Amino acid sequence: MLILSLDTSTMASSVAIVSETRLLAELTVQTRLTHSETLLPHIEQVLKLAGVSKEELAGIAVSIGPGSFTGLRIGLATAKGMAYALHVPIIGCSTLEALAYHYPVPGIYIAALLDAQKGNAYAAFYCWENEKLKVKESVRILSVDEVLEAASRLDGPVILSGDIVQKQLADRQVLPQNVHLALPHLCMPRAANTGMLGISRLKQGEAGNVMDMEPVYIRRSEAEVLWEARHRKADL
Amino acid sequence: MKDENCLTLAIESSCDETSAAVLRGGRELLSNIISTQIPVHQKFGGVVPEIASRKHIVNIMPVIDEALREASVTLQEINQIAVTYGPGLVGALLVGVSAAKALAFSLGVPLVGVNHLEGHIFANFLSSPELKPPFMALVVSGGHTSLVHVKGYNHFALMGQTRDDAAGEAFDKIARVMGLPYPGGPQIDKLAREGNPDAIDFPRALQEKGNYEFSFSGLKSAVLNYLNSSAQKGCPVPKADVAASFQKSVIEVLVSKAMEAVKETGMDTLVLAGGVAANSSLEQRLLDVTALHGYKFYYPSRVLCTDNAAMIACRAFYQSRAGFYSNLYLNAVPGLALTDIEN
Ligand SMILES: [Zn+2]
Repeated sequence: MLILSLDTSTMASSVAIVSETRLLAELTVQTRLTHSETLLPHIEQVLKLAGVSKEELAGIAVSIGPGSFTGLRIGLATAKGMAYALHVPIIGCSTLEALAYHYPVPGIYIAALLDAQKGNAYAAFYCWENEKLKVKESVRILSVDEVLEAASRLDGPVILSGDIVQKQLADRQVLPQNVHLALPHLCMPRAANTGMLGISRLKQGEAGNVMDMEPVYIRRSEAEVLWEARHRKADL
Repeated sequence: MKDENCLTLAIESSCDETSAAVLRGGRELLSNIISTQIPVHQKFGGVVPEIASRKHIVNIMPVIDEALREASVTLQEINQIAVTYGPGLVGALLVGVSAAKALAFSLGVPLVGVNHLEGHIFANFLSSPELKPPFMALVVSGGHTSLVHVKGYNHFALMGQTRDDAAGEAFDKIARVMGLPYPGGPQIDKLAREGNPDAIDFPRALQEKGNYEFSFSGLKSAVLNYLNSSAQKGCPVPKADVAASFQKSVIEVLVSKAMEAVKETGMDTLVLAGGVAANSSLEQRLLDVTALHGYKFYYPSRVLCTDNAAMIACRAFYQSRAGFYSNLYLNAVPGLALTDIEN
């Protein structure tokens, strides 16, 4: 079984072709080029590199968040269009879980951290037990200091991964003793992980619906938050 | 394949409507599905870009699916994919552009990126099958006011456009200040019918002959000042008179410039396009004036005045006949303008 996977939830744009047992090809670019321009050309290239025709694909896996709102929508709209036209299932994968796929090691915690703007992170803590990914603490919005605080309370080593590590944590001199930073290339969500996550979900029959799949934003739009704040005040 | 059998699937998501349409050849509309978000944005008094994008990503596939079903066409029969790539809200445009690129690539068919404003002009070809270039087009929408000399299907000369606010923007702003619900244009149009258009003398900008540019910011300020000072004096504001007088001022400018452009270029046809084309007073005034001078006048049906994918499909058909295709690097261009095109 071959699937195409996409992750455009951060500054990095990543596309991959994976099977159950193998990463055939991955194209990950972290430059200033915009995803909207390059995503489709990258998909075309990665298929060529893998020697796979699009008709051979058994599904499309896509990171559905959290992450950059616009980036998520570019990835999801692309995945929807392809899944619909190729008549294959779409599998929406958590960007945070995909980050935890970098470290399938028991006895440690993985803090998956994605930029939530203004010095905050979408933060979730994971660990691996019996070859299965377990959620230790589900996603919340935390400041960088709150992330370190939460990590320091855990009873084992914690690896911090995600784009916020590069953006906000790389220059910190002092970190809690049990906290370690992922290497730069493992701070970005990579489509290979999304693909591995996606293919196992697909085999369990957990495909999504191309007609109504939405990104996982966590946050509501600013306009809604402001509107509600104003009307709550008016009610008092 | 014969041109008249070419099937275009078009997507439009530049603002607050998600739309998909199927067109056979250049004129035979098989379906035009529009999912409007107006009720969602109403409580905010205008379109909220992030909310619009969130709605587009949910609505896009059902709208495409419905367009194909209503047209009784399968996706595999589609010969080309068209999409609006600007102008509009960037996040909103990107949903349509991304989906369109994915469809074109997956099906192995050409992609045609379309300028939304050109699409508005082409809506007239769907409403009026007998219409052919050359003609003068007056494009009046929420974000744009322009006069375009359409010399051929792929040959345009821009006569002039707005220097500041678009006519539609002025309508929306004034409606908001008067406490009318969003979208304001149709509300002002309705209210104006009960008012006296000569009650208040609002300014008209750039009236000198041969000037085809527009400016509505001065008019907008004058109306806002009038509303403010009435409120300060504690006088009851004659809202219907304000609406009627403001609308008259806008319409007179639009009509006089459009008529001059028709005359100066030796055209015999005027075409109205864009969201504000749905304004009944503007339509009526242009009908009267063109009839008086013996010119032909066209404007789109109501549904083709709003943002819709049918007009994008029509524009794409004529673009593709001239070989104007896009590649997979197509990006959204939020500030895309109307420019001269020669082909
Ligand atoms: Zn429009």
